[in-house]
Parts: sequence; structure tokens; C-alpha cells
Amino acid sequence: MLRAALKGILAHKLRLLTTSLAVTLGVAFMAGTLVLTDTVGRTFDQLFADIGEGVDAVVRSTESIDTGFGFTQRARIDKNVADLVLTVDGVAAVSPEAAGFAQIVDRDGNPIGGGQGPPTLGFAWPAVDEVNPLVIVDGRPPVGPGQVAIDNGVASSADFVVGDTVTVLTQAGPGEFEITSIVKFGEVDSPGGATMAVFALPIAQQLLLGDAQQISEAYVVAEPGVSQEELTDRLGEVVPPGVEAVTGAQYIQENQDAIRQGLSFFNTFLLIFAIVALVVGAFIIYNTFSIIVAQRSREMALMRAIGASRRQVLGSVLIEAVVVGLVAAFVGLAVGIAFAIGLRELLVVAGIDIPATGLVVAARTAIVSLVVGVGVTVFSAVAPARREKSIPPIAALRDVAHDESSSSAARIVSGLVVLALGVGLLLLGLYGETGNDGPLVGLGILALFVGVFVLGPVFARPLSAGIGWPLPRFRGMAGTLARENAMRNPKRTSATAAALMIGVGLVSFITIFADSTKASIDQLVDDSFIGDFVIDSGSFGFGGLSPDLAPRLDELPEVGVATGLRFSVAEVDGSSTFLVGIDAARAIEIVDIGIVEGQATDLGAEEIAVLDRVAEDNGWTIGSTVPVRFVQTGTVDLTVAVIYENGALAGDYVLGIEAFEANTAEQFDAQIYVVRAPGTTAEEARAAITPIVDEYANATLQDLTEFKEAQSAQINQLLNLIYALLGLAIIIALMGIANTLALSIFERTRELGLLRAVGMTRSQMRSTVRWESVIIALLGTFLGFVIGVFVGWLLIQAFADQGLSVFRVPVTQLVVIVVLSALAGVAAAILPARRAARLDVLKAITSE
Amino acid sequence: MSVAEPTAPPTVAARAVAASKLYGSGATEVRALDAIDVEFTSGRFTAIMGPSGSGKSTLMHCIAGLDTLTSGQVFIGDVDLSGLSERQLTTMRRDRIGFIFQAFNLVPTLTALENITLPIALAGRDPDAEWLDLVISTVGLGDRLKHRPSELSGGQQQRVAVSRALASRPEIIFADEPTGNLDSNAGAEILGFMRRAVDEFGQTIVMVTHDPLAASYADRVVYLVDGRIVHDMAAPTPEGIIDMMKSLELGHH
Repeated sequence: MLRAALKGILAHKLRLLTTSLAVTLGVAFMAGTLVLTDTVGRTFDQLFADIGEGVDAVVRSTESIDTGFGFTQRARIDKNVADLVLTVDGVAAVSPEAAGFAQIVDRDGNPIGGGQGPPTLGFAWPAVDEVNPLVIVDGRPPVGPGQVAIDNGVASSADFVVGDTVTVLTQAGPGEFEITSIVKFGEVDSPGGATMAVFALPIAQQLLLGDAQQISEAYVVAEPGVSQEELTDRLGEVVPPGVEAVTGAQYIQENQDAIRQGLSFFNTFLLIFAIVALVVGAFIIYNTFSIIVAQRSREMALMRAIGASRRQVLGSVLIEAVVVGLVAAFVGLAVGIAFAIGLRELLVVAGIDIPATGLVVAARTAIVSLVVGVGVTVFSAVAPARREKSIPPIAALRDVAHDESSSSAARIVSGLVVLALGVGLLLLGLYGETGNDGPLVGLGILALFVGVFVLGPVFARPLSAGIGWPLPRFRGMAGTLARENAMRNPKRTSATAAALMIGVGLVSFITIFADSTKASIDQLVDDSFIGDFVIDSGSFGFGGLSPDLAPRLDELPEVGVATGLRFSVAEVDGSSTFLVGIDAARAIEIVDIGIVEGQATDLGAEEIAVLDRVAEDNGWTIGSTVPVRFVQTGTVDLTVAVIYENGALAGDYVLGIEAFEANTAEQFDAQIYVVRAPGTTAEEARAAITPIVDEYANATLQDLTEFKEAQSAQINQLLNLIYALLGLAIIIALMGIANTLALSIFERTRELGLLRAVGMTRSQMRSTVRWESVIIALLGTFLGFVIGVFVGWLLIQAFADQGLSVFRVPVTQLVVIVVLSALAGVAAAILPARRAARLDVLKAITSE
Repeated sequence: MSVAEPTAPPTVAARAVAASKLYGSGATEVRALDAIDVEFTSGRFTAIMGPSGSGKSTLMHCIAGLDTLTSGQVFIGDVDLSGLSERQLTTMRRDRIGFIFQAFNLVPTLTALENITLPIALAGRDPDAEWLDLVISTVGLGDRLKHRPSELSGGQQQRVAVSRALASRPEIIFADEPTGNLDSNAGAEILGFMRRAVDEFGQTIVMVTHDPLAASYADRVVYLVDGRIVHDMAAPTPEGIIDMMKSLELGHH
């Protein structure tokens, strides 16, 4: 039986190839993702090991807040701690660190990196050689004000050499520096693509921390013979309260763990798309095996008739599935490794730069690829195989069975149950407090797809008829036959369309979600902004606009009010949250956060404004005390002075500028809002503002229309990345359509021969296949739209109180998707149509 | 009513000139057709007979433009098929030739009526309604027109096939064992329709068969053995055909 099965497979090499391909691509994506993240992970491991090399202990603040994605914000410490540490027995040297945001500006005045690009690091030149990972390529270390060392990556890309003058943006505003040195980071030009600006310690303290009395942390080198643990224990005894000492090994480990955590988010993000591709592949395998089983029923029945047991017949199908799965897994793994390189390029194009050295192919990657490849294939083939098992030997006497059944009561009921389950999971994920919102929503969407897949045969016939309705009118008999062919086997048509439905459903859902977000932002800006201009840093958290800028603009006679908006991280109730800092009394003239109770002017050094929903959840009213834990100042009790309702703009908590500055270390404006002075035209205001803004390379001056466009552009960038990732699922679905058509054509050989004999031309034959393909593609698109619009609508409803106030279906984009789907259908039909047209008429009509 | 003009001189609907068809080469060479010359007169019903492997189907396929000769020529009317492109051959089959096969004659997704008008629809023309009504009423399919092939009996399916062959008024109809899959009653019915098509509509029909009874409906029987015409009989009767076959078989051995 095994030999018979293997012979059968070899007899259909092309089918083996196309069927395997459906799973191969999904496996390749998954393997590629794993290889990529492993590789990036190892690169960072190496990087942090290099940074920590020679560091025996780190002295730092005990206060820290986890800001998510593996990032931790830690309080600064007094610089005297470094002097104190130096007196400890066994300490050979101490290197104080002062690190923060420093963005290098290129010769054309454009900031390098930052925003969604690579991080822009500024830090102090290490005082101790043992802990210094920097390698001088050219020049001398910076020692005084106005001196900087930059990394070799920036130096070569922006064409800087030692002795050049460069502008660097810091918290203290833009500054001109002489490049005294160009450095490598260990062996690489720049660590992980980040840019580096290195200053002498006092300069770094001043520019990056804004406080010459503080340092970020201090690296300690032990004397020979003193172990890291011993050193750390001794340090622990002398450091003041709020300061701790950890071993160099722990420090490296923490950094590595943190980046792994950030990578795992990235990994999950990519794996979701790999899973989507695999689900689509599974649908195609299921469909292909169903068709193969139907076509082979005669052969199989014959085997049953001559004595093969049902188990043997089932086995032969499963053997084929295993072979297909193995081929898919091995090829997928190989392609995936190549894919990892391509994926990296794709991300670079999308603006997410990640470093990569040698590829890391872990054993885990190979095992997972193998298990998933074989698993998905066999799982998808089991149902069709079981059907084959039940073929009675008498079927040998019949013609190839045409399964035209479509709507049994059991099918309708189970389909509706799965749909209901999907909606339930979605609602639970969106509104329930389970802490597993993402997976629940994902499973819910999957269940919707499966539900529609199960119900597909019920409505595939009427929908195909509807979609193909105009065909007979403008494509004559070829159109009529295309429509009839799409309708003749609703199970097959719907299963084929379902694969495309998944890709299109996700694309339309993402498109609708993104478009609604854009519409919501537009509405928000229109409703809440009284101002004329927004100056945007493109940054959200790390760095931003120097706090000097807003006051300078404010002084201009053409400007009525210019005030900034800052972000910081703090903990309320044990969970970290973003805090917004504004000069409330002034900002209220420009932005409307929808104050429900209290007055903006009430926000002083000890007050806080809270979103109405958050206040309600916590039972806070005006005058309530809210304990907020800041990184720098620890837990501070603030009094609720204002309750507002516009959370989309201001988030959950807002501090007045006094309270913000008192409790947070870094002072950057993420955005500055400007309203022009009365009697000044927009042009005049812009003319006055522009030269000042131009001094700050990372500041972008936008009027409200430009601001809205810029926000849309940011969303589009992410959207394009997601489109590219979903593109794979769509390509796989198209191969599924091609596969189905090819198998159908094989099955209809006699019929096609007859058509050709009685006068159908080759081009009419191609047209018939092509339009059948288009109908299937449009059916999948339609089903995808239904799910996409529904899920999009559901999600917008769920996020309504977080600012997604508008549900907008982008008709133009959806029309584009329909047109592209139809074209994709045409493309999928090219090879099958050619095969049908080339059919040997005589053989076809005389074959048994 | 389109009845053949009795006074018109007989024309040739199709003919083969020195038609040869070879399969293989050297020692394994098989001559399916061996320099056959034959003419099929318009308005006549001809049966091609012969034992299995005699080349009768090959002859039909070659004259009908479904297969190509190794050497020689075939003509439909005045048109030499060997000079035609694939596309021209296809339109030739569609517009000037009718086909009735033994089985799988119909497109399963189309109704009986759509199957009947298939070649006309493929040509993008409208059927001649009067003629269509006549054909359909002749074969008695009036109440079955909306049915799909799977809802029709074998005899009804072949009646649809006959109607299709007649619907576009081709110059010649080729029938390949049209009653091979039918019981004798249904077979006789189909042969009756074909006979009427020749008698009443002046249709030309060439039918391949191995059944002497079926062949007896024809005006003429051409008998092939080993790719050659060994006998040409006019006004055949079943008995005459059987006698001929017997004598040929004796002579052969």
C-alpha cells in the first residue's frame, strides 16, 4: 500500500508541488520569523555582552518603572555616589554614566534616526578604559564643551570627518559641536543601527540630564582577586538609601532579557502573519485533498473491491499528506532562511532598522517547521481522507462522483454555532477583562472565518450566480459556462474562495480600522484644536523637542500662545501609564480636552487631571487623592482638580507643568501647539515661526491640514507593512485558486474536449477558465469584506471611548481591492487556462 | 421548410483523397488509414463500418477536423482541411460540422436547450427560432428543454445531441456510434430521427457503427478493413450487411 501511495504521488509531481507550496510559504514565513528574531536576539546579546564587558558592578537607583516592550525607566542618582563608591575596598575604578537623548543632524539640516527609526543615543565618554566599549577610528576623545565623538555609521553615511562641525539636538536644544573623534562600538560601526553622540562627562550631564549634580548610573571595576559578588556585597553596604549595586553579570542579563522581551513582541507580531498564511494553506490542503479524493474515488473503490481494507485506503491518503507535509516543511525551512534576509530588508524599507549578523538557525526552528508543516498538512487532509474511506466499492462502477450537495441542516447549524462562538470570543476579547484580549480577538476572527467556511457551500451557489450575473451578457457562452462552472460544485468553489476570504478579510478589516482611525484623528483635530499650527517632533517618549523652543515661539509678537505637550511614564495603582504634561492655563486656549469639572488653572504642583471614565472606575471625584509613583520622585499624592472627557487627546491623566517638572527627569515637548496672535494672518505667523523652528532639526511645523496628513501618513506606513505581510496569505490563496482550477480542468477533460469538438475556440476556453477564476476570487473578496467590515465595526465600537469615534468604510480602497482581486483571479487562471486551451481534443473525447 | 431540392445535382459534402494515417514508425508502424479515397454525397446518410482497429473512427476524426492525416487530403465542401489553422479548424467544426458522440455528448452544467444551441452560442449568433422549433418538435424534446443532462435518460440525452447537431444546419453531421450506449428501442428512435433528418431536411450524415441494424438505416455502407475500403454497399439491409461481413471475414482468412 505504501508503494502504491508513493507511486501515486510521483505520478502527480506537479500536484505535489503546487499542494506543498501552499504550506511551504506559511512554514517559510514562520521559519523566517524565528530565524530573524533569533538572529537579532543574538546580535543584541552580543551587543550587551560587549557593553557590560569589564563591568564588575553597576551602581544605580532602586527606582524604576517598566514601560512595556522590555523598556525600563530608571531614576538618576547623585553624582557623589560615584565618589563614595571609589572609596570602597576592592574598587579599582568607577565610571559614571550620563545617558539621554542626543540626535545628530546631517549637513542638510535633517535629523538622523529617531522617531520610528533607530534610537538616537547620547552618553558620556567612559572614564575607565576597562569598561569602554568604544574603539577610536580617528581622532581623540571629547574633553570639553563643544566637543563630541560620533559613531562610524553616521560618520560614513552623513559624510562627517574629524574636525567637522556638527549640530546635535539634546534636551538643552540644538548645539554646535566639533567632531573630535569617530568611534566604533566594539567591532561594529554602530550598535544595532543606533546613532551615538558621546560627550565628556560634565557636558553629558548638562546636555543630556540637564543637571550637573546627577548621573544615570555608575560602572565599577573591581581590583584583581575581588569577585563580582564580593564587590557588589561591599558596595551594597555603603550606598545610600534608594541606590543599589548589582553585579556586571546581572546587568548584562537584565539588558539581554529586556531586549528579548521587546523582540518577543516583534516575534509575535510576525508570527501572527505566519499563522494566517498557514491557516490559508490549511484551507487549500483541505480543498485539494477533497478534490483528489473525489477524483480518485474510482481508483480507490477499485482497490477496495480487490481487497484493500478501509484502513489501508485511509492510510494511502495520509501517506500522501505526510509526504506533501515533509516536502513543504523542508523546502519551507530552506526558503524561510532566505526569507529572513528578505524580511529584514522589508522592515528596513518600512523604516524599522534592525541589525543582523550571521543567521541563527536554532534546532527549535527546524523542529517547529517540521512539526507545523507536517501537522497542518495531515490535519487538513484527515477529513477528506475519512470521506475516501467511506467510499463503497460499488463506486468503481459509477462515473466520478459530482458532489453537488451543499446545504444540509447539520452544516447550517454547525456553521452558525461556530459563527456565534466567533462573535462571542470577539466580544469577550473586546469588552471582557480577561487580560488575553489579543488572543481572544484573534481566535474570534479565526472562528468567524471557519464559520463562513462551513456555511460557504450554502450560499456559494447563489452568490456565484449573482457575481457572475453579467457574464453571459458580455462574454456569451464562455461567460455562461464560467458562471455555471463556478456554481456547479458549491463546496469546492466556497472552499477555494475561503482561502482568499481570509486574506481579503484581514486586509479590509485593517483598511477600515486604519481609515476610521484617520477619520477619528481628523475629527479630533477639527473639534478639539483651536490652534493654527502643530510643531511635531515625531517622537513619543524618548527625546523630543527641547523645552526652549515653545517659550521662544511664545515671545514672538505674531504668536498668541505656544505651549508644549510632554509625555512621561508613571505608575498608578501598580500599572504603568502615560502621563501628559501641559501648561494647563495656556494650553486650554489651544486644545479642548473637554473639561467636565474643575478648571485648568487649578492644576498646580500637587494637582492632577483625570479622564472621566478613569475617575469613575476608581471612584475619584474632585478633591480625591491619587497616589502616583514617579521614577524620579517616588510615590506622590496628587489631588484631583480637573475631570475631563477627551481621552483621545490627553490620555488618562494630565499634569500641570509644575507638577510634571517637579516629578519627572526628562523635559521634552513631544509636540508644541501654536495659536497666532489676533490680527496676524496665518502666513505672517508661519513666516515668523519658521526660522526659529528651523534651528531645531527634529521639529516639523505643520498647519492643521498638514498635521492631519502627517498623522495619516504615519498610519499608512504601518498599513503598508501589514499589507506586505498579508500579501503572502493572498498569494497562497491565489495558488489555491490555480490549484483548484487545474484539478477541475483535469476532472472535466471529457467535457472540455466536447466543447472544443463542437466549436469552442481556444480563446473562448481560456476565457471560460479565467472568468470562473474571477468569480471565485470575487466570491472570496465578498466574503472577506463581510467579515472585515463586521470585525472593523465591532472594533471601532469597542474603542469608541478611546477616541475612535468615527466608523468609516473607505469605499475607494475597497473598490481597489475588488479590482485587484479580479485581476488576481485572472492571474491565477493563466496556467490552468493555458492547460485547458492546449487540451488534445481527440484524446479528451476518446478517453475513457 | 428546408427540404433538399430534388432537381439539384448531387454535390459532395466531404471527401478524402489518398488519406493515410500512420502511427509509430519502422517495425512498429501501424497504418490506420491506407490511402483512402472516399466521397460523401450531400443529402445522404452513410454508415462507416469495420471491425475494431479497421480505422473507421480515425477516418471520421480526420474528415471531421478532429485529427490530422499523415498524408493525403480531406475536404469539407471545397475546403482543404490540411491548409487550415487550429482556429480555422475550430470554426469549421462549429459552423459547418455537426457531431453526435457515443457518450458524454452534453455539457452537464447547461440545460437541454442550451446544449442544443451551444455551437450557435459559441459563434455568438442567435438561433433561427423557427428551425429550432422544428428540430426540437421532430425529436420530441419540447417538455425537457429546461432540464439538465443528469435529469434526462440516455435516449433523451442522445436526442438532445441529435438536435444540437441539426440546430446549426451544418453541411455534414458525423455520428460516432450514436446508439452504442442505448437500449434497442431508444437506439431505433435516434436512428429514426437521423433518417428523417436526411429525408425531410436534406441533411448529410456520416455515421460510424459496428451494428448492422444501425447501419441499415443508412443509404450506403462503407466497409473498412485494415485502413482500406473493402466494400461499398448501396441501399443496405441488415441481412445484406451481415452477409457482406461474413463473406469479408471468410475472404479475409
